[in-house]
Amino acid sequence: MKVIEMPAASDAVKAKLICAGILISGCSGSQSALSPAGAGAEQIASLFWWMAGGATIIWVIMIALSIYTLHLNPDAHHRQKSALFIIGGGAIAPTIILTILLIYGLNLLPALLARPPAGTLQIEVQGYQWWWRVRYPNQSGEPIELANEIRLPRGEPVEFILSSKDVVHSFWIPSLGGKVDMIPGRTTHLTLHPTKTGRFRGACAEYCGASHAYMNFTVDVVEKAEYDEWLAQQSADRLAPRNEAAERGEELFLQTGCGACHTIRGTEADGTIGPDLTHIGSRNSLGADMFVNNRENLQNWIAHVSALKPGVKMPEFRALSDDEYQSLSKYLEQLK
Amino acid sequence: MKRRWKIIGTLGLVAVIGGALVVVSGVIPVKASSGHWEITRWFLNFTKERSVATHSTGIKVPDLEDRALIIKGAGHYETGCRVCHGKPDSVRPRLVSLMTPQPPDLQKIVPQREPQELFYVVKHGIKMTGMPAWPELKRDDEIWPVVAFLLQYSELDLAEYDELVWGEHQKQSDQSIDSAEGTSLPVPHLVIEECAGCHGVDGQGRGLGVFPRLAGQNEAYLRVSLEAYHHDNRLSGTMEVIASRMNQKEIQEISRYYSRLPPFPSKENQNGEASSNRDSEAEVASFERGAEIAAEGIADQDVPACADCHSTTRKPFKNAYPTLIGQYQDYLALQIKLFQNRNRGGSKSANLMHAAVDGLKPDQIRDVSYYYSVLPDKE
Repeated sequence: MKVIEMPAASDAVKAKLICAGILISGCSGSQSALSPAGAGAEQIASLFWWMAGGATIIWVIMIALSIYTLHLNPDAHHRQKSALFIIGGGAIAPTIILTILLIYGLNLLPALLARPPAGTLQIEVQGYQWWWRVRYPNQSGEPIELANEIRLPRGEPVEFILSSKDVVHSFWIPSLGGKVDMIPGRTTHLTLHPTKTGRFRGACAEYCGASHAYMNFTVDVVEKAEYDEWLAQQSADRLAPRNEAAERGEELFLQTGCGACHTIRGTEADGTIGPDLTHIGSRNSLGADMFVNNRENLQNWIAHVSALKPGVKMPEFRALSDDEYQSLSKYLEQLK
Repeated sequence: MKRRWKIIGTLGLVAVIGGALVVVSGVIPVKASSGHWEITRWFLNFTKERSVATHSTGIKVPDLEDRALIIKGAGHYETGCRVCHGKPDSVRPRLVSLMTPQPPDLQKIVPQREPQELFYVVKHGIKMTGMPAWPELKRDDEIWPVVAFLLQYSELDLAEYDELVWGEHQKQSDQSIDSAEGTSLPVPHLVIEECAGCHGVDGQGRGLGVFPRLAGQNEAYLRVSLEAYHHDNRLSGTMEVIASRMNQKEIQEISRYYSRLPPFPSKENQNGEASSNRDSEAEVASFERGAEIAAEGIADQDVPACADCHSTTRKPFKNAYPTLIGQYQDYLALQIKLFQNRNRGGSKSANLMHAAVDGLKPDQIRDVSYYYSVLPDKE
């Protein structure tokens, strides 16, 4: 009975019942449309439950009718009554039910697609093979850039301005709402309204190449105060290296050419081809939510990136020594 | 009818067994000392000529008149071909004259061949004749200069040949040269023997653009490049052959020597005429476009800023990346194209260049190469 005491447990239980025998774990948790934590996701989930319920009722009726005609009353049936059943149940009833569903579904759309009122927080997300460039507005002008990670204040609407630099991607945080395609040469919009705090997972929902499965991100919904504090920290320049190894790491970062593709604000590194690394040490994960963010994984990433993420644009730096890999990863780890 | 087939079958079997016995018994002489019978020689030659003619059909011949191309081919000839095919007005090496078949005197035979046939033979070699294949089948751009040279070869006398191969620099030992610091630097024997023909004792690459400048280059880069040639990691039919003969100590000696020479001179120092039309409008525009690519990259095409690894000012080297300041435009452009086609190879860092230059378009390659090539004048 422990489960029921937890918030949102009823949804989780429902989800588990439906999914029993398919993929039990896949239907709950941080990346599930059946555990809604946002206004849009709640509507979509309730639509799903209405449809699932209706489908169950129709299924039970159909099975009962089959049993009746095949086993309980297998003789010839009355011609006119049968015709009524076939026309009524096969054509008229589905038309009515589907029309109601369509009207209900279409009614949901305007609210889901509506642009939010002016002054709503706007976050720009660009899809790349295979990562996400995220830009937060900044009072002082230049947007604050980060990657593969989004933080949202609870209880406030937020609008995502979505675009793609290469192929079609699709931006989806199942727990918070519906998905919207990111199309090269076009800008699309998605408004979400997170209602619960917690860590959720977003994913690319449109096959986009070899490492499509490794194109994810984390979403932290936090209270407004915590959000403001986080954003202020992200907008600051990088923290200066705190020890000799990290100092050597920064030197290597600049000498080896990392800065040609990556920006670390507060240093000469101003490349824009790859993700901004100013606060990489503070991120939840590495490689678009592929790995836990720690020094060892950072080091492996620099040394073996194309083996870890097939087709990735970042080249491996094979000429570096173990010592140099360590200095670099110590430096990056300190960029909280 | 049936009987006839039986006889044919029996005769066939006897022929096969008889043939096998001849081979297994080892009575056939494979010795080179006796040469071929006239009929064998004719048959082998005829087969070879037909094969080359058929297989070289459809090979597109580029323009082969450019003198720089001919000089590049001459350098290749001297290091790879001369040892067997000899040079004009000179005695063939004794050992080579004892080969069967004998490597032909190319001054006589080249006029009878089409350029595409020469290309095919230089690239693929010929089985069982001693003619080796080109060591790097991905580098057609190195093979055409050899063809360009061969097309001129039959007219050359020894002086002209030496002029093509060695330029103004003639082979002489006990030379010394001023280093970048102004001290006198003895020229290593190996440099005179192996490098100077193409790259010059002064490391300026003979001013043609087909051989890179090495003077003042990053010592670590020269070393890892020679090592890459030595281990077949950098692809070149000529440099692989030369570097494969070198040991680590020699590689270090050569790298150190060229890195200590005065760096790439500006165009005025090297060639007075060049400066007169240097600042044409088109060149200024090209320089500016190149400067922007070098400094900023082209983010939309995933091209990072070149200058983050290849500094546009002279400063001490901290890794094994080469300096490009003053390097020949043609040479730089060729390297970028080779990187794009994955035909260059190189040191452990070569893969970085694949990601960096894949997005460059042909005119951008020209611009950025031009920019680095004339940088010394603008510093």
